[in-house]
Amino acid sequence: MIDSTNLGFTYDGQTFALRDVNVHVNAGEFVCILGGNGSGKSTFAKHINALLAPDEGSMTVDGNDTRDQRALYLIRSTAGMVFQNPDDQLVASLVEDDVAFGPENLGVEPAEIASRVARSLAEVGLMGFEKHETHALSGGQKQRVAIAGVLAMEPKILILDEASSMLDPRGRKGLLRVCRELHEAGLTIVMITHFMEEAAEADRVIVLEEGRVALEGTPDEVLVRTDVLARLNLEVPFACDFSVQLRDSGVDVVPCVHESALIAQLRNAAPAAFPCTEGYTVAQDASAVCAIAPMKLPPLPRTSTAEGTPLIEFDHVSYTYDAAMAKRQQKAAKRGKASTDVQAERAKWGNDPDALWAVRDVTFSVMEGEFLGIAGHTGSGKSTLIQHMNALVRPTMGRVLVDGKDISDKAAATQARSLVGVVFQYPEHQLFAATVFDDVAFGPRNMGLSEEEVVERVKESLAQVGLDYDEVQEKSPFELSGGQQRRVAFAGVLAMRPRVLVLDEPAAGLDPAARRDFLGMISDLHKRGLTVVMVSHSMDDLARLTDRVLIMKEGEMFCVGTPAEVFIHADELNAIGLGQPCPQRMAGKLRDAGMPLDISVLYDEASLVREVAGRVAQAVAEGSAAHDAAQPTPASAESAAEGFAANNAAATALDHNQHNEGGAR
Amino acid sequence: MNGAFSFGSYCPGDSPLHKMDPRAKLLLGCAFIAAVLCAQGFAALGVVALFVLAFYAISRVPPSKAAKSLAPLLFISLFASLLNLFVVQDGATLAQLGFIRISEGGVRQCLFIGARLVLMMMGMSLITMTTMTLDLTEAFERLLSPFSRIGLPAHELGMIMGIALRFMPQFASELVTIRRAQISRGASVAGGPAKSVRMLISLMVPLFASAFRHAETLSAAMDARCYHGKVGRTRLHPLHFAPRDGVAVAVIALLFAGIFAVNALV
Repeated sequence: MIDSTNLGFTYDGQTFALRDVNVHVNAGEFVCILGGNGSGKSTFAKHINALLAPDEGSMTVDGNDTRDQRALYLIRSTAGMVFQNPDDQLVASLVEDDVAFGPENLGVEPAEIASRVARSLAEVGLMGFEKHETHALSGGQKQRVAIAGVLAMEPKILILDEASSMLDPRGRKGLLRVCRELHEAGLTIVMITHFMEEAAEADRVIVLEEGRVALEGTPDEVLVRTDVLARLNLEVPFACDFSVQLRDSGVDVVPCVHESALIAQLRNAAPAAFPCTEGYTVAQDASAVCAIAPMKLPPLPRTSTAEGTPLIEFDHVSYTYDAAMAKRQQKAAKRGKASTDVQAERAKWGNDPDALWAVRDVTFSVMEGEFLGIAGHTGSGKSTLIQHMNALVRPTMGRVLVDGKDISDKAAATQARSLVGVVFQYPEHQLFAATVFDDVAFGPRNMGLSEEEVVERVKESLAQVGLDYDEVQEKSPFELSGGQQRRVAFAGVLAMRPRVLVLDEPAAGLDPAARRDFLGMISDLHKRGLTVVMVSHSMDDLARLTDRVLIMKEGEMFCVGTPAEVFIHADELNAIGLGQPCPQRMAGKLRDAGMPLDISVLYDEASLVREVAGRVAQAVAEGSAAHDAAQPTPASAESAAEGFAANNAAATALDHNQHNEGGAR
Repeated sequence: MNGAFSFGSYCPGDSPLHKMDPRAKLLLGCAFIAAVLCAQGFAALGVVALFVLAFYAISRVPPSKAAKSLAPLLFISLFASLLNLFVVQDGATLAQLGFIRISEGGVRQCLFIGARLVLMMMGMSLITMTTMTLDLTEAFERLLSPFSRIGLPAHELGMIMGIALRFMPQFASELVTIRRAQISRGASVAGGPAKSVRMLISLMVPLFASAFRHAETLSAAMDARCYHGKVGRTRLHPLHFAPRDGVAVAVIALLFAGIFAVNALV
C-alpha cells in the first residue's frame, strides 16, 4: 500500500531530514512510527500524502508515485491525514460542513456527501453531532471530527501525525479506540506518536533516528529494546521496563509489552508466588500468607490535613461562569443577606440544581514549602481553581486568602500576583518581546523595579531554568526551540520571585526527554524552597513528585491527601476515570492474579520490582527444593536458560539490516 | 466554559423564513432597506412596522432573544436620532439652553429617523437571526460570483469569510488566556500610558504569532483534504430557489406598493 524506496528529503538542500528510508506498509496493517523530536517522523508522514515530494528515491502510495502531479488528489484522498493540533485543522464552524469539506473538494454529489458525513461521524462515535459548533467541542472530539473529515473522502490509509499529543488521557483513549475499530474494519493505519501505550497496540513498529530507520518489528520485538529506545529519548511502556528490571534482578521472564502477558509468565514461572484467589476471601492453599494482606483500606481522605503554615487558603470557594447568577449572589452579599453559614450555602445549591458551577464549595490550603498536585478531568474545574490563586478570577462565593489576606480587594490582589506566580498551559504562546531579556523583564518592570534589579532578576531566573544568560538574552524568543521557549516563559514568571509557583500542565505536548528535563527542573525549584502547585494528567508524575494530591471531580474537591493515601484507592479512582500510577496498577493486577501484595502500600517501580522479585525467587527456591527432592535435574534452571536464549534471539533478530529482507516482502 | 463569544446571534428554527434561500434573503433585505428609505412619513413607517411585526411573527423568534440581539444596535440608532434633535433647526423653538436650541422640526426629525433606523435594524437582524453565518457567507459568495469574470475572487472571499468566522471564537478564548497570563505577570492598563502600551503589545504579539501558527497548519490541512479552489467543487447543501422565495418577493413588492400608496395619500 505504501512503498518508500531509498527515500531522501532535505528542507534546506544541505542536511537530510530523511535518508535511505525503506518502509513498506501492507494493506490493512496498523503501523506505528516512533522517534524523538527531529527524527524525521512528521516529514515522513507528509510524504505519504504528497504534501512533500522526495528529493531522492521514491514513494508510491497505492501504486501511484507521489511526484506525479496528475495523481495528487487521488493520493491525498487515498491517504488522509490528521494533524497534531486539534485547533488548527478544522475549516468550518459547523461539524457537518467540516466533514463535508474533503468530499466537496473532490466534487462528490450533494446527496452522497450527506450520507458520507453521517456515516463517517457514526464511525468515530459522534453520531448526531452534525449541527454542533466545532469550537465548542473538546480536544478529543475535535480530533475525531478531523478523522471523520478524512473518512468522508473514503481513504484506504489513515495517517495520524502525533494526533493525540495535545489531548488529555480520556481524549487519547477515545482516539485510540476509534483507530482500533477502523483498523478492524480494514483501514490501513499509520500512526506517528511518542506515546508507547499507543505503539503497543500496533501490528508493527518503526523507530526513526535522525532520518533513518533505526528499529523495525512487532511491538514485542521493538519495545523491549530499552537500551536503544533510551538512547533515542523514548520511553518504553511500563510493562516493558518493569519486565526488564525484573529480569535484571534475577527473575526468569522474557521482556514483553503487555501487562497481562507478563503476569501470565510470572504465574508459569512461579505458581507458588500466587497462592491466593480474588480478594483474599478464599485462600487456595496458604491461607496464612493471604491473611497478611489487610482486607480494608483506610477511607479516602476528603479534607486537608497537612501541617505547616498555610500560604494560600480556599475557604468554601465557589465560582460560576453564569454572570447573571454571580450578580445575584453578589447583590445578596451586599444586602447582607448572604449567610456565612455553610449549611445555608449548601442548601442554596439544592434549590438551584441547574446552575453551572465551575468550582463548588472548595476548602483547602496550600502549605508553605509543599508540592501540591492537582488532578482531574478536563472541565473538572482545575484551571478555574488555580486562577483563583492570584485573583485572576474572583470567587462567586467564599474567599481566598493569600498569606493571610483576603485577595478580593485590589491592593491585596496586586500583592498576591507577585507572591503567586501562575504559569499557564503552553506558556510559550504568551511570549511577545523582541528579545528574551525584555520578555523575562516584563514582570519585574511591571513591578516598578530599578533597571539594575531587573537585570539581576533576569540573570537569576534564566539560570534557574537552565539557560545561559549571555547566550540567549539578545535572541528573539521566537527563534528558540519549543522547549527553550517554554523555559523562557517559565523564567518570566520566576523573575517576579514568587513564593508559590502554580503550574498548569507544565509538560503538556513535550516529548519524553524534554518532559523529564522539565519535571526535574520543577522538582529542583521545589527543593530550593519554592512552594509548588502543579496541575497534571499524569498520575505517575504526581505520585513521584508531590507531597499531597488534590483531585477535582465536576467542580468539587473529590479528595486531598498524600499520594500514598490517595493512590491506593483503585476503585474510587477508576470510577471517576482517572486511574492509578503504573506501578500501583500493576500491583493491583498481580494481586488479582493471586499474589498477596499489601493493598495499603503505594508502590513505586523499584519497590514493586524488589517485592515481586523477592516473592518469585522464594517461590522458585521452594519449588525447586521440592523438585530436587523428587528429581535430580533442576527443571527451573533449564527453563530459565531457555528463557534467556529466546530473549537473545529476539534481540538479535531486531537489528535493522537483518530485518530489511523481512520488511521488503 | 467561556461563553465570551457567540457570533451572529443565530436563533435555530424551521419557520418559512429560516428555510428561505439565503441569497433571496440578502437581496430582499437590500430591497427592504430601499423600501424603508422610500417611506416619507410616519404613516408609511406604520405600514413598514406592520410588515416587520408580521415577519417576526412568522419567524417565531422568541421576543426576548430578538430584544437581546437588537439592544446594542438600538444604541446606535438612539445616537443617530439624538444627533438630529440638535442639528435640525426647523420650525418653532421648543427649548433653548445657551447655544443649544431644540426645534419642533428637530423633534419630528429625531423621532422619524429613530423609528426608521429601528425598523431597518429589526428587519436586518431578523436575517442574521434566521440564517446561519455560513449560509450568509455562501450567499455572499454566490451573489458576487458574476463579478468573478471581471477578476473579483468571489469564491476566495467567501472562503476567507468562512474561515474568519470559524477562528473568531478561537481567538477570543486565546485572547482571554493571554490576557490572564500577562496580568499574572503584573501587566495592567491602569499604570500610565507606557505601561498600557506595554500591556497592549504583550497581548497583540502573541495573538498574531498564534494566528500565523494556525494559518500554517490550516493551509497544510486544507491541502491534505484536496482543496484546490473552486474548480470541480460541490456543496453539501447546494442552494436552491424554492416557491417560498417567490412568495417572499411578492411580499416585498406588496410592501413597496403599500409605502408608495401611503406616501401618495398622506
